[in-house]
Amino acid sequence: MDLQENMILLNQSVPNKTAAIRLAGKLLVDAGCVEPEYVDAMIARDQDVSTYMGNFIAIPHGTDEGKKHIKKTGISVVQIPMGVDFSEDAATDNTVTVVFGIAGLNNEHLDILSQIALYCSNIDNVAKLADAQSPKEIIDLLKEVEN
Amino acid sequence: MSQNTATADKPKTSLKAKVQKFGTFLSGMIMPNIAAIIAWGLVTALFLNPGGWFPSPTFIKLSAPMLSYLLPLLIGYTGGKMVDDERGGIVGGIATIGAVVGSSVPMFLGAMIMGPLGGWCMKKIDDMFQAKIKSGFEMIYNNFSAGILGMLLAMLAQVVVGPFVDAGTNFMASGVDWIISIHALPLANLFIEPAKILFLNNAIGNGILVPLGIQTASKVGKSVLFLLESNPGPGIGVLLAFCFFGKGSAKSSAPGAAIIQFFGGIHEIYFPYIMMKPSLFLAVMAGGVSGTFTFQLLDAGLKAAASPGSIIAVLLMTPKGSYVGVIAGVLVAAIVSFLISAFILKRDKSDPDADDFAGQQAAVQEMKAESKGQTNTASTSTLDYKDVQKVIFACDAGMGSSAMGASLLRDKFKKAGLENVPVTNMAVRNLKDEPGLLVVTQKELSERAQQKAPHAIDVSVDNFMNSPRYDEIVANLKVASQEKIDDGVQPTTQAVNATPASDVAEINFDLVAEIDFIHHDQHTGSATMATSLLKEQLAKAGKKTTVKRVSIDDVADETDRLVISTPETIKNLKSRYTNVQALAVADLQDKKLSEVVKNVK
Repeated sequence: MDLQENMILLNQSVPNKTAAIRLAGKLLVDAGCVEPEYVDAMIARDQDVSTYMGNFIAIPHGTDEGKKHIKKTGISVVQIPMGVDFSEDAATDNTVTVVFGIAGLNNEHLDILSQIALYCSNIDNVAKLADAQSPKEIIDLLKEVEN
Repeated sequence: MSQNTATADKPKTSLKAKVQKFGTFLSGMIMPNIAAIIAWGLVTALFLNPGGWFPSPTFIKLSAPMLSYLLPLLIGYTGGKMVDDERGGIVGGIATIGAVVGSSVPMFLGAMIMGPLGGWCMKKIDDMFQAKIKSGFEMIYNNFSAGILGMLLAMLAQVVVGPFVDAGTNFMASGVDWIISIHALPLANLFIEPAKILFLNNAIGNGILVPLGIQTASKVGKSVLFLLESNPGPGIGVLLAFCFFGKGSAKSSAPGAAIIQFFGGIHEIYFPYIMMKPSLFLAVMAGGVSGTFTFQLLDAGLKAAASPGSIIAVLLMTPKGSYVGVIAGVLVAAIVSFLISAFILKRDKSDPDADDFAGQQAAVQEMKAESKGQTNTASTSTLDYKDVQKVIFACDAGMGSSAMGASLLRDKFKKAGLENVPVTNMAVRNLKDEPGLLVVTQKELSERAQQKAPHAIDVSVDNFMNSPRYDEIVANLKVASQEKIDDGVQPTTQAVNATPASDVAEINFDLVAEIDFIHHDQHTGSATMATSLLKEQLAKAGKKTTVKRVSIDDVADETDRLVISTPETIKNLKSRYTNVQALAVADLQDKKLSEVVKNVK
């Protein structure tokens, strides 16, 4: 699968991580990848175990339970230039600038996810994503990593 | 003894331990499926038409397919799963249907062969190919390899197993036939009892004894042949012996099994107990022989076949005048079988039975782990890494975070020449405790992972994306394989594109009270990240200087401000402000930033 431009939302500003996850989830719902219930599963999963990955990215996805609400594989991207804190408590700062919403069926998403992981393991690459000015730029940036 | 199995590759495994291990393996296939055997048994006992307690032409339709298909398939699945987890189970199940279709008798024995064989073949094929599958094609590979293998094995089983089992059945049958012909009837039990344990009881009972019995009964009104196979005595003897002298779960489950066997007539339920300790074959054989001898002595017989072989069904079929003989025969069989079983079980006292066996094994390994120190990463010595054969990333659903972590580590392994160590990801609930496993989890899941795989090396990370633990794992594995760590292992964070650090020298750090990162339309995200990163680094270094993200229009033109941004922005900034100190950096990993951390207050 490939990233689609209509699955990428730039320059968002959100009050908290739940709102960020909802944005990423809504993109998945609107694209027909998941049922609205999946978004709740994404929030539940993040409360259970944080989906903050480090390097300013988070990859909210549903719980095991929530998998039944997935209709097809999809990945959404929400860019939050001003950042949003994904930590549980006030003491830690898990600022996130790029949120990847994940709905994976049959491991079809693993290729692109692996690309995202390799690309974002360099923090300067994440900065490029966080500064990107168009959806196409994000897609092109992620394409820089070829296995 | 338990250590022998713990380290299976030790050459000096005694024959006894091997036999016992085999018995444990066989019963491992049957035990989880006892519930299904009970379901089938109850259906048959309740609704057999005629002869059941509540004859029902509708519900009895369940009986035959359950016996012929459900039970063998479940056993085949379980057997495959014991060898190679879920994939092995599926292939084992598919392979078993070949044995089922290929033979006319219920294929328990075939299932017990094809199930594990299917699992084993799957494992071998996965070992060969899995590492070579390009990412994205795993699902296609997984499904088609298992499907094709299953199909081939099913075809093989259909062609090979059927005739093989038929030959075995015929051998047993002709043995029984021959013994009847020489009028040494009690010896028939020497064939019947082992045949029963191998689930050939129905073939023998309905195939040979019942037809012959009907002939006799039609002449004299009763036949002892009906009692040979349906006599519940030998089985109840073994089960009672387990009730008193067994150990572990075998002991605690035996009373329930005894009731089901004796009153429900489901003989199958005691077969696993015998497989656990194959010397108990002697007990049932002796019980059967002496029971049949007693029947003959007292001229006992049944009017018709007692099916199922419950004491109630047996008594219902007993003609008037034969009660004493029938009851005596059952009792004698039970007592003989009980005494011999008790003797065998007690004599083997030092020899833990199947359940304790596994338990002790686990206990020994636990003790070993404890003596080594905690299973925590901090104290895991590189010694343990020698045993690492694979790495699994575990997360809640196995969908996202673990997959990303796994790709990163796989990449690092590749660069470090550690390609022979596979890195996969899965949901934490699917983790299995297996040797040579290293599990990476997020901190929150570490406990759950340890419960699932207590003997694995457990590495927990805060951060899947750039955890220093990854490099530790790579380094430890490299040390373990006694190879030099090459430069490729260096963490990416050190691959820095430095700009000359000279302009840092121009900054008067004594004045700096606040560091501002400039954000504007094109560089908001990176400014957010830089602010956060620098804050964290300053906090770690114990520095007190404030860090802020400010818009280029809001910069306070004071000398106590250090403004950091990209070279273009700094150029622009210098034309607007005169007092602020400014520093241009190439990116978030610019060495100048660490200089700043070092120098500020």
